[in-house]
Amino acid sequence: MPAISTEAKVGLFVLIGLVVLAYMSFRVGQPGFGLKRGYDVSAVFDNVSGLEKGSAVQMAGVEIGQVESIELKDGKAVVKLRIRPDVRLDRNVRAAIRTHGVLGDKYLEVMPGSLIPGEKSAYLKEGETIQYTERQADIDRLLSQVTLIADDIKNVTSSLSNTLGTPEGEESIRKILYNVRDFSENLNRVVARNDENFTEMVTNLKSASKEMERTFAALSQITDEVNQGKGTVGTLLKDKSVADNLNKTLAALNDISKKINEGRGTIGRLVNDEETVDNLNESLSGISRYINKAEQFRTFLSYRGEYLFDRSDAKNYLELRIQPKQDKFYLLGLVSDPKGRRQTIETTSNGVTTTTTEYNQDKLLFSAQIGKRFKDLVLRGGLFENYGGLGMDYYMLNDKLRLTFEAFDFGRGSNRQTHVKGYGEYRLIKHVYLSAGWDDPFNTSTSSPFVGFSIKFEDEDLKYLLTTSPIPR
Amino acid sequence: MKGFLSLIDNLGKAVLRNVEEAGKILLLFFSVLSWAVRPPLKFKNIMKQMEFVGVKSIFVVVLTGTFTGMVMALQGYHGFRMFSAESLVGSTVALGMTRELGPVLTSLMVTARAGSAMAAELGSMRVTEQIDALYVMAANPIQHLIVPRIIAGIAMVPILTVVSDFVGIAGGYFVGVHVLQINEGLFLKNITKLVTLNDIYNGLVKAACFGLILSLVGCYKGFNTRGGAEGVGRATTEAVVLASISILVADYFLTAIMF
Repeated sequence: MPAISTEAKVGLFVLIGLVVLAYMSFRVGQPGFGLKRGYDVSAVFDNVSGLEKGSAVQMAGVEIGQVESIELKDGKAVVKLRIRPDVRLDRNVRAAIRTHGVLGDKYLEVMPGSLIPGEKSAYLKEGETIQYTERQADIDRLLSQVTLIADDIKNVTSSLSNTLGTPEGEESIRKILYNVRDFSENLNRVVARNDENFTEMVTNLKSASKEMERTFAALSQITDEVNQGKGTVGTLLKDKSVADNLNKTLAALNDISKKINEGRGTIGRLVNDEETVDNLNESLSGISRYINKAEQFRTFLSYRGEYLFDRSDAKNYLELRIQPKQDKFYLLGLVSDPKGRRQTIETTSNGVTTTTTEYNQDKLLFSAQIGKRFKDLVLRGGLFENYGGLGMDYYMLNDKLRLTFEAFDFGRGSNRQTHVKGYGEYRLIKHVYLSAGWDDPFNTSTSSPFVGFSIKFEDEDLKYLLTTSPIPR
Repeated sequence: MKGFLSLIDNLGKAVLRNVEEAGKILLLFFSVLSWAVRPPLKFKNIMKQMEFVGVKSIFVVVLTGTFTGMVMALQGYHGFRMFSAESLVGSTVALGMTRELGPVLTSLMVTARAGSAMAAELGSMRVTEQIDALYVMAANPIQHLIVPRIIAGIAMVPILTVVSDFVGIAGGYFVGVHVLQINEGLFLKNITKLVTLNDIYNGLVKAACFGLILSLVGCYKGFNTRGGAEGVGRATTEAVVLASISILVADYFLTAIMF
């Protein structure tokens, strides 16, 4: 074996060194391998604490690149990512900062976004920005919440210890335990006492089964007799004439059902006639309409008191409003006017007719009106305080404010003008209203401004009283 | 008063001597630089020195590297086990070897083996007036004796360091995976994940610097030997001590600059 030359030794040594170095570099440098030809995209985060240059970028746990740089821009962190050239990212991917490993290493997770149907999927190009980023789970915030929860739990336990830890608490627990002990003792006693009863029950059962055995034997004897045609039942079943009768009955029944089927006879007609169905349908729809009406049907009761300044007196109204439909109503009312009911008496003596007007203060005035609502406008007509007239209501502010104008008593005596009344009514709270207006401005003797107060409510009882009477069509 | 003055005197002398020595080493370095680029390069001499510094040091370096890696794995395991991070043992060994222990231990071993030999060789040549004979033969001793040694030091110590890194990590792997039963996949993954190419390359740059230091100091001490056989012995000792100290001090500054 020839001696290895110095040069060969050195050359071999250097070669070994270089191979080892290349191997180590290759193993260590693998993540960055091929990234030089990759492309850059950026993502903007509120907080990137823990993320560093060179941190991994992963998708579904597979490393697809590295964090190239982190810069601050407008108070936000702009992270530039270098992605492997063979990985293409959808335009709607989401980026989030995640933690893994014992040291809490941060890495950037890129998740595929949901593809909007119909939209053509496009890929992120060099220099573009990932649109959707997720906030980093903040340990501090989490901890502060956990602290709050712990405080709550502490409150619960302390209140528990306050109730159970006190002498009274202990006492009551002890009592509960005593009760449980007593109960189990009682149970024990009951069981022990009933031991004999149980035994008795079992023996009874035994004897009952013996009885049953005997009964079955008797039954079998009876069936034997029936089989042989002995006794009443036996003859019934074994006699030929019975079967004939039965056959005849069945034939008759068959006949009847055929008749019914063909529409003959009363029942047949009833069943087969279309009219019956129609009638039935109609009555059913009538019932349902009635129920609907009853549902729609509403009744309101109201009281209103008005103080007339110029007459220093009050006028009272009691009204019942029946509203069968949303836009239609009937109004019945009683009015007590301090002046009373006016009576005009014509007396003819010596060819001269004198008209005298009298007021009867004990008599009440009546109102009876019908009304219909058109959106915010209500038109009313009928009797207003004993005289024919017309009224108009205008609702504003979601029905909170009502402006009312009424005109009635047109045909008064020559010295009197038409009675006109105008006022506004405002709903203060539910059921309670305030009103103000002017009553009878054209007649100086009765003209007066007024303020009023009223209570209105829906009366269900009255409604049922009214609807249980005849069916409205 | 006199004693105090002599104390000051000695202190000043020591400082002057050290500064002078540093200056002389630096001057030697400059002349080595100028002679290194001047042909003809003594190829045969360089190869001989490379064999001596590199190839013949493999055994020592492999031994130190392997056991250092193994011991680091063992020690790191006990530390990391306290917070269940045993899989980080591998990366600790790898980072420690490539960054620090590989270059430093290798160059210390080479200092002890080759640096001392350089000082002794040149020292005996000096005291037996062979160096003066070279001058007489109009051959520059720096070109013939020192330049090949320094080139060999700069070239071989990094390669030895590569070997040391590798066997150190391999030793750590053996202890970690086969003795301490750390998960093999995690062990290797953490090494490749946490160690970067720069860690290895910076370690090699360090090793080259240490190679320069140890060969330069060895050559300087040998080249300036005085006082016969006793002087050769002193020069050898001084060369090893000064080179080791310089390597450790330089390691600090290089680390501060690089990482």
